[in-house]
Amino acid sequence: MTIVAGCDVGSLTTKAVLLKDNRLISTSLIRSKAKPQESARIAMEELFAKADLSEKEMEYCVGTGYGREKLAFVNAVKSEIACHGKGAKWLLPSVKTIIDIGGQDCKVIKIDESGTATRFVTNDKCASGTGRFLEVMAQVLGIDISELGQQSSRSKSPVTLASTCTVWAQADVIKQINSGVPIEDIGAGINLAMAKRIATLANSIKPENDICMTGGVAKNQGVMSLLEQLMGCRIRKIRKSDPQLAGAIGAALFAQEKLLSA
Amino acid sequence: MRPEIKEYNYDWMLGSLLKVASEIGNSSEKEIQYLTNYIPYFKGTLSVLLREGEVGTCFIRLLDKYFDNILTAHQNSKKISAITFCLSPALFHAMNIVPVTLEVMTGLAGLLWKRGAYDYLDYGCELGFTETSCSSQRGALGAYLAGLGEEIDFLVCDTPGVCDTNANAFAFASTFMEKPFFQLNYPQTIGDEKTRKYHLDDYKDLITFLKEQTGKDLDVDRLREVLKEVDKQDDILAEIEDFYCLVPNPIPVIFNLFIYIGRFISAGLPEYTELLELMLEKVQQNAQKGITGLHFEQEKARVFMCYIDHYTLNLDFFDWLNRRGISHLGGILSRNFRDNTRYASELEKSTYGIDTSTFETMLTSLSEMNATLPMVRSIRGPFDKPNMWLEESISLARLYHADCVVYNGTPGCRNTWGMVKPFAREVEKAGFPVHIMNGDAFDDRVESWESTVNRLEEFLSIRGLL
Repeated sequence: MTIVAGCDVGSLTTKAVLLKDNRLISTSLIRSKAKPQESARIAMEELFAKADLSEKEMEYCVGTGYGREKLAFVNAVKSEIACHGKGAKWLLPSVKTIIDIGGQDCKVIKIDESGTATRFVTNDKCASGTGRFLEVMAQVLGIDISELGQQSSRSKSPVTLASTCTVWAQADVIKQINSGVPIEDIGAGINLAMAKRIATLANSIKPENDICMTGGVAKNQGVMSLLEQLMGCRIRKIRKSDPQLAGAIGAALFAQEKLLSA
Repeated sequence: MRPEIKEYNYDWMLGSLLKVASEIGNSSEKEIQYLTNYIPYFKGTLSVLLREGEVGTCFIRLLDKYFDNILTAHQNSKKISAITFCLSPALFHAMNIVPVTLEVMTGLAGLLWKRGAYDYLDYGCELGFTETSCSSQRGALGAYLAGLGEEIDFLVCDTPGVCDTNANAFAFASTFMEKPFFQLNYPQTIGDEKTRKYHLDDYKDLITFLKEQTGKDLDVDRLREVLKEVDKQDDILAEIEDFYCLVPNPIPVIFNLFIYIGRFISAGLPEYTELLELMLEKVQQNAQKGITGLHFEQEKARVFMCYIDHYTLNLDFFDWLNRRGISHLGGILSRNFRDNTRYASELEKSTYGIDTSTFETMLTSLSEMNATLPMVRSIRGPFDKPNMWLEESISLARLYHADCVVYNGTPGCRNTWGMVKPFAREVEKAGFPVHIMNGDAFDDRVESWESTVNRLEEFLSIRGLL
């Protein structure tokens, strides 16, 4: 019996998972704090509480995400790209291309049969095309980020927004609200701006089927549908678990591999 | 610009720091340690340079002499010309003109000062440059436009069509400072007769311009002397560059920087020859022992930089290569395409020779040398022109057994940014993993070194190179 953990400390959320003999037995997902160590501690405490296990029972833990280098309790660290590749393969075995949209970046990763990343592209500097972009826009619209995805199906005429800069896009949204444009049209415009940026990035790496999305934005049906339209291909939905956990799952799988090979 | 920055002369600040550094070579370790307490930010860069022993101190002396020439030019009745790294300074040295190579001046601020050239870069924007203009120009130029450097007497540039942001910066500066400006031009092709004639005629016009500005004739004997020195330097360079073919590569990573900074400011001067001789000696010693030029690690990977390097405090990029066991195989800046270089033999009609027999042959040599400098010969239009950037990069990467090719530039490098993605695709097809760095080689605020190095590490690890 092996019990391993993966902890993914991202810029917006921290995720942790426990795997027991390759089965997911506990997960936690919290809003990241200012200090990565604190985020990880809270997420891990929640993780063990849910599984009714103590930390001592964990045999190996791999850390990933932006805060990974700061985690004292992990046995090893792995890059996010490697973890998302591994995690996505476990969640959807047929996957070859992963679009991962995190809080502060967007990555398109190609993987091989073993889930090892072979190529990747990332956005460069701007927050457009990242989870942070959607979060800021939802705040301006006064809706919860989880409601943003539904706006696309309700809209009859999505607005066109600036998509090279989050601050400018925010100014555009405020202008549209003040002009009386319906919320759903603005929301749909936001999803479209986001999808266009991701599609451009994804197409640059020549994605291969099956394609899936990981990260928090994978839960935004509006962006996902628009992305399918823009890329002209189907994006497979991850159903086995929360797609936002892919990085943490990948980290746990690395931990499991390490234990089994020892 | 902050008021206190306006109190100091840019050239003097860089020059005085290098003056002290140039005298450090003979000091004991204890003395160096004591001194470095007073230079908390420069000591990182200094230690990387001193790690190279005699070669490092010789490089510092070369820089010191260069700044000395700038700072004393007017009192010695010499004129100062702003030039770019795409232009050989040999003719300027032959005519007793002190060349201020703007890219080197900006780069040095990044290497020597914690604040880099930030204040001057921003001042350039205050005056009207855009934030995406050429940062390598804008940094030092900001100081000269603010009247904080030695007075520039005139400007010479040769980058229209090759690098328009560079050419625009010169045009802007000429207008702003009300100084005369000469611009060499380039046809689209390289190496054919029409182009060679064009270069020669254009170069003759440049000499006429320089004569007008200095009020002096071109001394043919002095020109011959300078060209013979360049010839000697090219021979040594060709020999050094042959060693890139060896595995492990015996050339220390920082030598690339020495090669091109030396050439951009001191081509044709004996101090550069001395530096190259010391470098060759060191490389030969390493090769004889069969060891790498890296200081801390065995060679694990070999990287060919297809454009420029990264210039931040502590020489972070070069230090990182050293510590990660990555050999630097040079890049566009370290090549000169002399006819005796191994890499140029595959690239037909892309080279120059040096013939000092008559005035006419010397002019031809100079004009052709100039037409084969970094950027000028490589990036003059579409990336797929025969024997230009794409083909030369693939050819060099193959010749030097590169494991990967890395692009680094600045957001202002539009002539390379405009084609770097198709370029990368083609280089990948040729079998070399390619990484495109998104930062600014001269401005760490565009993307911090920490983020840049994270992305580099990610690339090397995902592509299985480290």
